[in-house]
Amino acid sequence: MSTENLRVVGRGIPKVDALELVTGRAKFAGDLKFPGMLYGYARRAGIPAGKIRSIDCSAALGLPGVSAVLTSEDIPGPNIIGILPPFDQPVLASQVVRYEGESLALAVADSREAAKRAAAAVRVTIDPLEPILDIDTALKPDSRRIHPDGNITFSKKLIKGDVEKGFAAAEVVVENTYHTSFQEHAYLEPETVVAVPGGDGRVTVYASCQSPFHIRGHIAANLNLPASRVKVVQAYTGGSFGGKDDVATEIGCLAAVAAVKLQKPVMIAHERGESIIGSNLRHAARIHYRTAGLKDGTILARQAKIYLDGGAYASESPFVTMKALIHAAGPYHVPNVLVECTAVYTNKTYSGAFRGFGVPQVTFASESQLDELAAELNMDPLQLRRNNGLQAGQATATGQVFEKSVGLLQTIDRIAERREQIPAAAPGEERWLYGRGYSCLFQGISNGAEGIDVVGASVQVSQDGSVLVGVGLTDMGQGSRTVFAQIAAEVLGVTVDRITVRQVDTDSVHDSGPTVASRSTTVGGMAVYKAAGEVKASLVKMASLMLKCGEEQVRLEENFAVLTDNPEVRIPLPEVATAAYWTGFPLMHLTFSRAPDAQFDHETHQGNIYIAYNFGTHLMDLRIDRLTGRVEVLRHLAAHDVGRAVNPLGVEGQVEGGALIGFGMAHLERIEHEGGCIQNANFSDYGVPSIKDRLPTETIIVEDHNPTGPYGAKGVGEPPVAGTAAVFANAVAAATGVRFTRLPIRREDILAALEEQ
Amino acid sequence: MLLEFELNGKQTRIEAEPTLRALDLIRDVLGLTGTKEGCGRGECGACTILVDGQPVNSCLLYAAKLQGRSVTTIEGLTTEDGSKELHPLQQAFVSEGAMQCGFCTPGMILSAKSLLDRNPDPDREAIEEALSGNLCRCTGYGKIVKAVQRAAAGGGGGAAADQPGGSG
Amino acid sequence: MQYRTVKSIEEALSQAASAAGEQTKYLAGGTDLVVQIAEGAVYPAMLIDISGIQALRGMERTAEGLRIGAATTIAEILEAADGEAGESGVPECLVQGARSIGSPQIRRLATIGGNVCNASPCGDTLAPIIVLAGALSLRSGKGRREVPAEEFFLGPKATVLQPGEILEYILIPSSHLEGRCAFRMIGKRNAQVISQVNIAVWLKQAEPGAAIEDIRIAAGSVAPIPLRLRKAEELLRGSVPGEPLLQTAQRAVQEEIRPISDVRTSEEYRRSVTAALFRDALAGTLEA
Repeated sequence: MSTENLRVVGRGIPKVDALELVTGRAKFAGDLKFPGMLYGYARRAGIPAGKIRSIDCSAALGLPGVSAVLTSEDIPGPNIIGILPPFDQPVLASQVVRYEGESLALAVADSREAAKRAAAAVRVTIDPLEPILDIDTALKPDSRRIHPDGNITFSKKLIKGDVEKGFAAAEVVVENTYHTSFQEHAYLEPETVVAVPGGDGRVTVYASCQSPFHIRGHIAANLNLPASRVKVVQAYTGGSFGGKDDVATEIGCLAAVAAVKLQKPVMIAHERGESIIGSNLRHAARIHYRTAGLKDGTILARQAKIYLDGGAYASESPFVTMKALIHAAGPYHVPNVLVECTAVYTNKTYSGAFRGFGVPQVTFASESQLDELAAELNMDPLQLRRNNGLQAGQATATGQVFEKSVGLLQTIDRIAERREQIPAAAPGEERWLYGRGYSCLFQGISNGAEGIDVVGASVQVSQDGSVLVGVGLTDMGQGSRTVFAQIAAEVLGVTVDRITVRQVDTDSVHDSGPTVASRSTTVGGMAVYKAAGEVKASLVKMASLMLKCGEEQVRLEENFAVLTDNPEVRIPLPEVATAAYWTGFPLMHLTFSRAPDAQFDHETHQGNIYIAYNFGTHLMDLRIDRLTGRVEVLRHLAAHDVGRAVNPLGVEGQVEGGALIGFGMAHLERIEHEGGCIQNANFSDYGVPSIKDRLPTETIIVEDHNPTGPYGAKGVGEPPVAGTAAVFANAVAAATGVRFTRLPIRREDILAALEEQ
Repeated sequence: MLLEFELNGKQTRIEAEPTLRALDLIRDVLGLTGTKEGCGRGECGACTILVDGQPVNSCLLYAAKLQGRSVTTIEGLTTEDGSKELHPLQQAFVSEGAMQCGFCTPGMILSAKSLLDRNPDPDREAIEEALSGNLCRCTGYGKIVKAVQRAAAGGGGGAAADQPGGSG
Repeated sequence: MQYRTVKSIEEALSQAASAAGEQTKYLAGGTDLVVQIAEGAVYPAMLIDISGIQALRGMERTAEGLRIGAATTIAEILEAADGEAGESGVPECLVQGARSIGSPQIRRLATIGGNVCNASPCGDTLAPIIVLAGALSLRSGKGRREVPAEEFFLGPKATVLQPGEILEYILIPSSHLEGRCAFRMIGKRNAQVISQVNIAVWLKQAEPGAAIEDIRIAAGSVAPIPLRLRKAEELLRGSVPGEPLLQTAQRAVQEEIRPISDVRTSEEYRRSVTAALFRDALAGTLEA
């Protein structure tokens, strides 16, 4: 594909849906209104573990405004949801409570308040069970089984080379155990769906979600309907970051069951407390890690044993486990690697997908190890990373070799150029401790080990020369719509204002799987590129007939078909399109783009897993008030190899936003459980960063073209999370002289450690 | 009770329960869905409206308290017929890429508008203070601050924040 | 839930009396009460909206001191303070406490009376009012009584207010408008925080470097009620504040407080950080 003279790709244009968003006209699921719409509100268990004896809805049914109170018996289908095998989650529980947010019944009424009152009036008797609250208890052989097959959700290994040999040859070894905590997505829009029964035997579900096809499948199954009778439409989605899919499926099923039963539209909109308790969290992790090296800094071997607290249901634990395995050794050339990762069930809110997906946890551990090694060797931490950093032609921990688009060293160089002096305390400022940290990271782009990676896209040109693009991947704010528009515009020579990217619905494009894994730009963009290319061929063919020249002499640009040799000879594209229609050339193409399959051994995770990796290096300077533990971040540089920045403004937005989420994970945010119940399910006690907590993140874009992405692009949604969490820990260690092995490193942790010194 | 108040420049009369949340009055009764509910506790700012030019959390405000007041929602910032004329803040948000999912955006813009109406040349600290009650999870806030600065500098519209592709 | 908007204190009292036997609540800004109602923590049969009672609003300098109407909003207090041109207006510690509350949106609705009557031990105006020797004027059907601020609080969310009794105003006596005061707090993050610890200090020195004539110290979020720290006061009162004495006083503060661990932070952190906040607040009041 051409890399010269790009007109639209590479420009930081405003988002194509900016107008709707900035005026408040964009309709999110909770903004939709249908005649006769009812509201659903769930009755939840409120205790973390127990056997359900009875669920009595009679009192609730008698309350004013109540149309129905559903229990598991009202679900026509199997009453099962879940993202992955073992599909171990009920829509409505009827026998066992496995976490406090377990939904037992759904009250449906003419207002949310009435539904909430009715839900509270449902009488439930549960025999409490002693909840299993930590990994070690869950793993004891005589512990109660949370699920029939035991308390291990998933367990796998990555084996490369021979770590024993590596450690035997080591001149220095660093070893430590790291912990990370549960983190909440805290998107501003709580989970919301509206199910609307059509008069045609179909039901349409509008959802705030990332994975409409997945939701469709489960709704159909639980309604006992063919999937073709269900349509899921992604409404404008107020953030997701991996957090909505389990729940959108759960409440999508509930709303659809109610809607079909009552033949009325039904809305379920979570309150914030429900959102925190009743939707997935980031896995808390315990990582035992050791690294073997030589005195010159060469890393010989890395070994990690990871436990993930997966909570009550499997959700995405199997995939998070695999991703943790694959990324644990970091973006380095390491000949011997052994990683074991086990996800465990506990009686807490289940863990699942959250931007980063296991990589932030292992990157924190891995990058802490790098700094600990650098300290042992008295070596510059950035130099140590450069010495071991992955280069083109070298194998990753899975043995995958990339010949191209391995931009790690470039990101290190760009950071090194900007090092400047580390800020230090001025006289009279003794209460401030200054420190600098580095981190390197990588994140696989595309579904990789998680299975087939396909995206459907459609491109349709109308006779007026305007373009309608449809893609099966969702925009939840990250700007994928705009990227798709830019790619289509580039290929077709149409200006962006003539392009519309339609809302995602499951009727109109091929099942494209979930919008995850930073794959929108890469795999989604490729699908758009191909579809647009097919339509372009029709336009070029028609134009060449009209211009009486060879097809290779036609160029499409700025809404014109232009004769390359004599650009003043040109035809407006609408004329070309109209002529093409009347001549019978196809003006719409539906395409299916498939990323190369991962091929690997499932027992050792050796093989080719991702179509590309995004590489990054971060630098952070901060200072700490030794009397209060307050942290001020003075500088944050985030260099990322994105292949090609289709929209640099969008790239910055992804880096800045992802960075603050990583910062939250590393410093401010921690879900507090007591007895298995979340104590801080609100925005006051769970410290989502405010504007005054923001980072001064500066994005440095590095472009090492990726041959598998459109125009060389790679995604960047997730990588900044891992990079920032890891660099914060290293900067704090540098400032305080204390290695913190637990995230979040809060003010109180810093103060306690300083006082101990 | 009969409520009479000015909404986006128009006199409005409507019957409502006094303890109906202003948020629900605006969204469900009056159909203006630009104002959002993020937490229902006054902790996120997504429900921010202007009352007599000042930002408040409409999830904490009973409808009775709107009596005789002047209320502005995000819909009040563009022209009546929905034409393309945007408030300089809105234009600046667009140009700077200051919104991603857009859910926090209406509340954020109204808080910023109240600031600029009071203080046309705010420093960064004043901007942060004015927006400190509006949470955003997508953007990291950096571009939001830039957008407010841009609008304050009078550069709301104009050329998009167009940047050539990064270097290799 | 019935809703009555009233225009005078008398009307408020009579409405409350008419609903005697049922729970009634006075509604001012609502930033605490509306949330409590929504969460089902309280379910009053009647709400009496007092936010429109002019007699409850505004600040006035009288012969006795600074009189702050209970329904004066936090934003109004801050606007008055920001408008001052160095005049003896709202004392600094109260301004700083007010500034720490919530967010701009919250401060626009929240009232100082609401902050006081909600009686959360974290309330940011409470310690300042106590160190300023604030007196709370309470009105009921039986008349008026004055309660010193530090005797007003009985426990978390519990005060001496009798059913139907209304806080009319807070009086900061002239004696305590002199001197210097400061307030410091810390929370989980940099904005919209509920205090993990807050502390207020008021003191009077005849001249810079002189002995401390009088001093009052109070801290919030370190006990079930905002706590007056008399031991530290005794150590400092009448003394010239040199470093060794300040350290001793700091230790006394840390020993006198009774913090707990809760969802916001740990007991250890509260005890540690109180020291820093105390020293910062003192530094804000002592004239070198």
